[in-house]
Amino acid sequence: MKVIKDALGYAMGNLAAADRKFYLYCFVLLVIAGVGLSDAVIAVAEGHHHSNMSDMVPWGIFISGLAFFIGLSAGATMVGLLIHGFGRDDYHPIGTRAILIGMICIFAAMGCVMMDVGNPFRAMKIPFLLRNETSMFFISSSSYMGFTALLMAELVSTVYVTIGKAGRRGKKIAKVLGIIAVPYALIVVHSFTGTIFGVVKAREMWNTPLLPVHFVTSALASGFALVILVTIITSWVNKKHLVSKETYNHMGIMLCFFLIATVFLDTFDYLILKYSGTAEGLETWDIFTGRYLVTFLINMVGLYVALIMTAFKKLRTPTGLFYASVIVIIAIAAYRINLISIGQLVPLYHELGEIQYVPNIHEIAPFIGLTAALMLLFALLTKVLPMEDTVHATNE
Amino acid sequence: MRKLTRREIVRLAGIMGAGVLVPREVQAFGSMIDAIVDKMSEGIKGTIGEYVETPPPTPGAKWGMVIDLGLCIGCRRCSYGCKLENNVSETINPPYIMVFQTKYEPGQVMAESDLLGKHREHGTLKYTQLRKDRMYMPIQCNHCLDAPCTKVCPTKATYKSDDGIVMMDYNKCIGCRYCMAACPYGARRFNWSKPAEIPAEKINRLVPIRTDGVVEKCTFCVHRTRRGKTTRCVEVCPNRARTFGNLNDPDSAVSKIITTERNFRLKVGLNTGPNIFYLTDPKKKPMSWFKPVPLDMNIRGLKS
Repeated sequence: MKVIKDALGYAMGNLAAADRKFYLYCFVLLVIAGVGLSDAVIAVAEGHHHSNMSDMVPWGIFISGLAFFIGLSAGATMVGLLIHGFGRDDYHPIGTRAILIGMICIFAAMGCVMMDVGNPFRAMKIPFLLRNETSMFFISSSSYMGFTALLMAELVSTVYVTIGKAGRRGKKIAKVLGIIAVPYALIVVHSFTGTIFGVVKAREMWNTPLLPVHFVTSALASGFALVILVTIITSWVNKKHLVSKETYNHMGIMLCFFLIATVFLDTFDYLILKYSGTAEGLETWDIFTGRYLVTFLINMVGLYVALIMTAFKKLRTPTGLFYASVIVIIAIAAYRINLISIGQLVPLYHELGEIQYVPNIHEIAPFIGLTAALMLLFALLTKVLPMEDTVHATNE
Repeated sequence: MRKLTRREIVRLAGIMGAGVLVPREVQAFGSMIDAIVDKMSEGIKGTIGEYVETPPPTPGAKWGMVIDLGLCIGCRRCSYGCKLENNVSETINPPYIMVFQTKYEPGQVMAESDLLGKHREHGTLKYTQLRKDRMYMPIQCNHCLDAPCTKVCPTKATYKSDDGIVMMDYNKCIGCRYCMAACPYGARRFNWSKPAEIPAEKINRLVPIRTDGVVEKCTFCVHRTRRGKTTRCVEVCPNRARTFGNLNDPDSAVSKIITTERNFRLKVGLNTGPNIFYLTDPKKKPMSWFKPVPLDMNIRGLKS
């Protein structure tokens, strides 16, 4: 009881001490969230007829959003592994933030699913009342719940370590959770998210056993980029670097390795479409080099530019990493849209003619609203939870 | 009389405007809340509309269909009949049965150059004239032996019944549309909006009424076939291009046709085991009398 009272007192004290800029930032996010999510409420009441999705393109920007946000959650687990598995204490100052990012990204992914389905109330019955064990959607959504629970446990244990109240046992629990979160995230969460699409033999671009691997590498790249981005922005806002120059350099090297794997798979994915010689492969290639050249270029050029930026030590500065991370996140968002939404534009029958899909405002607005709502949650949680590492302070 | 200032005029206009608009907006908001509450109730209770009993699977049967492309004249009567029989709303477009006009003649095969070339111009779904020199290709749910849609559905809302029909349980469908993404035949339709109301006298009481947010599809007219009748599309075909029957019965018409005549199935390379067989023998089509049933050309997602 006393612990809860103390925690609440600490949280309220922190909120009360926040400056006007923080409240203004929260207010702006609240307004954006309210306006954006109102479209999602209308979709629940009236159906998705305002969207540009169709029987030809049943999965639009929301399912791309699911894959994108799930990918972003991977960064959290990597930081946990670096701290607890590899003993990199210099990552401690961002440990709690990274886990928060992971949790919020999982919430965002589940929010995307809820905004996409026809009846979100019935969808809540999964996995307990409605289930089909052969469905990758069922397996994935169940794994997200497990991942949320795991990250929550990791968050609590990390907070205890951060404030220096964890005993030997508490530290051991934090270490174990930090280590097991990585295989769980990579093998269960991200691989199975890739498998949702990989098992669909009706779609040329999806049906490849490499897709789960591709999802793991792109998740690591985008997730780690987000962690870097949040670290740099927080440092700029607080006017104090959370981590040392050496740690920034290490972060850049890590991102570079994740990007090498992602760029390799991305490049060969597209080349195989071109050289497959199948009608569907060629049609997909035509779409990417024709109508959707812009998203194709954002994806490929973005990844190559970010790879070059992180490959040189001179560019692995906070400013350089900031730009590289932004580019990676945008490039991987474009990859998700290319794969999922545009991947469905190849007609199942040639007689259908040209299939069209560009997300409209009724799809983009809820997406932005959800992002704003979760940014607000992140801002509030970083305010009320102890973020400053009093034990492992290695800052410059 | 006192002259009104500009500010007062604006304020007055604002109040009058609000007076006109607010009741309508409030009403719209109220109906939106009602719709959400309805959906919540459907989601929690798991029942949509009136309960309609589906007959049990026919023991020992495995239903299948043969479509003779030499006889199909592309009149779209199968599609229209299916729509009426199954309470398919006007908002569902294209209907369960799509009929393509291809550039080939009956019996002709696709040229290799076409496979790798400009395949987008091969034909159309939205034809308005029937042509003797064209082949027509009706497409619908193939009721696959190893149906990808049933494997991917997270709630078992779509399932393979014992008599081979791929069924839908609308009370379990969450509207995730994974089945639509996974179906290689494009046979499933989603209710993107509230289905347009069907006049009471036209409603088939043997078929459940759907709501927005659920997927629907051809059920081989389960309410008829399991009661000993044939499907509606077979019944209305003016040229008898369709034959429906039990593939497990060697004496049935479908079994005899597929064992004696050259036939093919769609996308067999995907190993889904479709149960609709197409005959390709060119035959003379008696087609001097029909115009195609019109199709609503405004199809979501297709270039107009």
